[in-house]
Amino acid sequence: MMKKIGTYLLQSKYAISVSVLVFVVIGSSLITSSFLTADNLITVLRQTSVLFILSSGLTAVVLTGGIDLSINNSAALVGCIVAQLLLLGVSIPVVILAGILVGVVIGIFNGLLVGILKLPPFVATYGTNMVVLGISTIVMQGKVIYDLPRNFTPIGVGYVGILPIPVIIAIVLTGVLYFVLQKTTLGRNIYMLGSNAYAAKYSAAKSVRDTITAYVICGITAAIGGIVLTARLNAADANMGNSYGLQIVAAVVMGGTSLLGGEGGIFGTVIGALVLTIILNVINVIGVSSYLQSMAVGIVIILMVWLDVFTRSKREKLSRA
Amino acid sequence: MEQQPILTVRGLSKSFPGVRALDGVDFDLRAGEVHVLVGENGAGKSTLAKCILGMYQPEEGEIELRGEKLCFSSPKDGIKHGIVAVYQELTMVPYLNAAQNIFLNREPLIRGTGLINHRKMQRDAKAILASLSCADIDTKIPVKLLDVAQQQMIEIAKALSFNPKIIVLDEPTASLSEREIEPFFKQVLKLREQGIGIIYVSHRMQEYHRIGDRITVLRDGKFIRTLDVGELTDEELVNLMVGRDIAQVYVRTKNEHSGEALRTEDLRDHKGRVKGCSITLDRGEIVGIAGLVGAGRTEMARLIFGIDKPAGGKVYLHGKDVTGRSPSFIVKNGLGLLPEDRKRYGLALKSSIAWNTVAVSLKSVFPSGIVSERKNRKIAEDYVKLLKTSTPDVVRPVSQLSGGNQQKVVIAKWLSAKSDVIIFDEPTRGIDVGAKMEIYALMDRLAAEGKAILMISSELQEVIGMSDRIYIMKDGLITGEVTRNQCSQEEIGRAMVLGKEVEA
Repeated sequence: MMKKIGTYLLQSKYAISVSVLVFVVIGSSLITSSFLTADNLITVLRQTSVLFILSSGLTAVVLTGGIDLSINNSAALVGCIVAQLLLLGVSIPVVILAGILVGVVIGIFNGLLVGILKLPPFVATYGTNMVVLGISTIVMQGKVIYDLPRNFTPIGVGYVGILPIPVIIAIVLTGVLYFVLQKTTLGRNIYMLGSNAYAAKYSAAKSVRDTITAYVICGITAAIGGIVLTARLNAADANMGNSYGLQIVAAVVMGGTSLLGGEGGIFGTVIGALVLTIILNVINVIGVSSYLQSMAVGIVIILMVWLDVFTRSKREKLSRA
Repeated sequence: MEQQPILTVRGLSKSFPGVRALDGVDFDLRAGEVHVLVGENGAGKSTLAKCILGMYQPEEGEIELRGEKLCFSSPKDGIKHGIVAVYQELTMVPYLNAAQNIFLNREPLIRGTGLINHRKMQRDAKAILASLSCADIDTKIPVKLLDVAQQQMIEIAKALSFNPKIIVLDEPTASLSEREIEPFFKQVLKLREQGIGIIYVSHRMQEYHRIGDRITVLRDGKFIRTLDVGELTDEELVNLMVGRDIAQVYVRTKNEHSGEALRTEDLRDHKGRVKGCSITLDRGEIVGIAGLVGAGRTEMARLIFGIDKPAGGKVYLHGKDVTGRSPSFIVKNGLGLLPEDRKRYGLALKSSIAWNTVAVSLKSVFPSGIVSERKNRKIAEDYVKLLKTSTPDVVRPVSQLSGGNQQKVVIAKWLSAKSDVIIFDEPTRGIDVGAKMEIYALMDRLAAEGKAILMISSELQEVIGMSDRIYIMKDGLITGEVTRNQCSQEEIGRAMVLGKEVEA
């Protein structure tokens, strides 16, 4: 019986991530009774949603075998531009479109660096991250913008029924990305590119186009994340993306999407973002000191990725036997 | 020289998914003999060698070294017992020099420190190379600057530095030129005189006579027979390897050609590997391209397929000029390519059979851009039936299939893309005999349906058995053209190696 369960867990794509999530939820509710309250759960979901929105498009990039390290500062740049435009009195729909357009441009830029110039994505997008940070500083002139228009902030703090708007945006994005990655030829090409770039080439796939598309998707979700974040903080400054940094990558990888490409999916990223946020939440609730916080988070990330790699190799052995 | 064997293998079995690579194989090796392992691709030669070396762990059977039962869990155990290997592909670090490569990971240290004693390493490397009459090899420059034959000698020097009792040579001459082979044989014979037992894996018939003492024939993972060199004629030996008359393996029904499908004119690449090739291929025709490894055949295929851009010349597909166009344009016009290394270039191994089947035809199968998993499965299942691919379902990853069935998935990929001109680059490499025959039958059927097939192959029998016409390629040039039944294997073989015109 145990063996059967074990086999099932090994074979199913998200079983390990889901078990870790369940484990973390149970653990958290044991550690602190205030975890399983409706209020706290909604808070957790709202916190998760920003991290998830930022990570969601990265899932597509990682599936191609790439990486995008420019997301946090891209989101910040979008936030800064959005804030400036709002101050100028530009209407909200136009501002949102402009923000998303900035994301698209950054995505195309990254896509060209990786797809056409063939730069290693790690370094190329790290460079982009510095560039966009620089642009944000110029846009903001070193200032912080507070008090955005009242009808803008609900994007970050508003509710529809009991659900916070960022959570709804995250749910919609999950659906859209699931559709794109699993149900379209573009999605197939993205998986193909990541599982074997050579075979993609020898199958006459348009790899450059697919690579650029993946980075553009990532740029768009970074922009959406930036807009939501700005609305939630009701403020914008050039460094607002700092705290997210590599958490964005961690959420994707913890969800079981392989950094080598070709394996994983958007639901993994949902779970990755949830686990990461819950742990941060619990640590906050029980009042652990901030150095211990980052240590604990680091350990959890390492454990979860190890578990993923471990089950993957077990699974391969299983399928060979 | 009847004597006690140093190595005895009894009843060895080893399986991989979908294929029984070794099935109760017996084998023995005496000190000071060259024992040649022969058999077709997939017969189990390399698997047997790897079991002896400790790289694979057999499921059944035993290996005895001088009467002592061995149970290796890794190649390190093999080396400890004096069993080493020289592989077909060179396994050196290109940027390190000869001495560094020979002593890689076991560098002599300066006593009492963790520092490498470079002087001693150089001295020892030179001494070993000198014993191989290769004292002229520069041991101080990166090995990538040396030529292939010299690199091969360094590999052997490395093997010798372990003081081996047994050396496995796996296709050691594959990358050597004709001129370099004879000195290499001299070294092998010298090792034999020193009492080292040599297991020699090779495809080249003429080599057995030159240096072999005994031959063991494997077929489909089974032990067939061990015999002395010279006991059988080459033809009888081939029949043993293949297990049936060659005439039965290659099925070629007579076909009508109709109209030109593919033509190249004076095709050249930028690297000087293809120096001006003009070929034609008709619908319903199978045309072979024979040549040695490195003759430029695969490079020519890449030019035709559009992966590399030609430096000059023309490619016409169904009369349309497609020179220098992108692969996707060329594929749309009906060309398909089964790459020589299907695992690396042909398949996304972790993806399912279904996914791989529609990898090229995604756009035509799902014109709306939205994928239907069910339709995809149906298409894959149809091809599984059509090509007799043996698999329980189409959702498992192709990595779980045997080589022959993987090749069928690649073929399905091009058929589903409606390709009518297909380049088969080494289509049966690493595939067992049964599956080979199925691939041949399939090629014959495709040609009968009017598809044009260009077959690149290093296996002469295959080229001769399957082709209506054969181009011979050497050093980037087409050096000859013969039609079916016009020419013997020996003549084509000579033309491949020497580049002489074949008299048609």
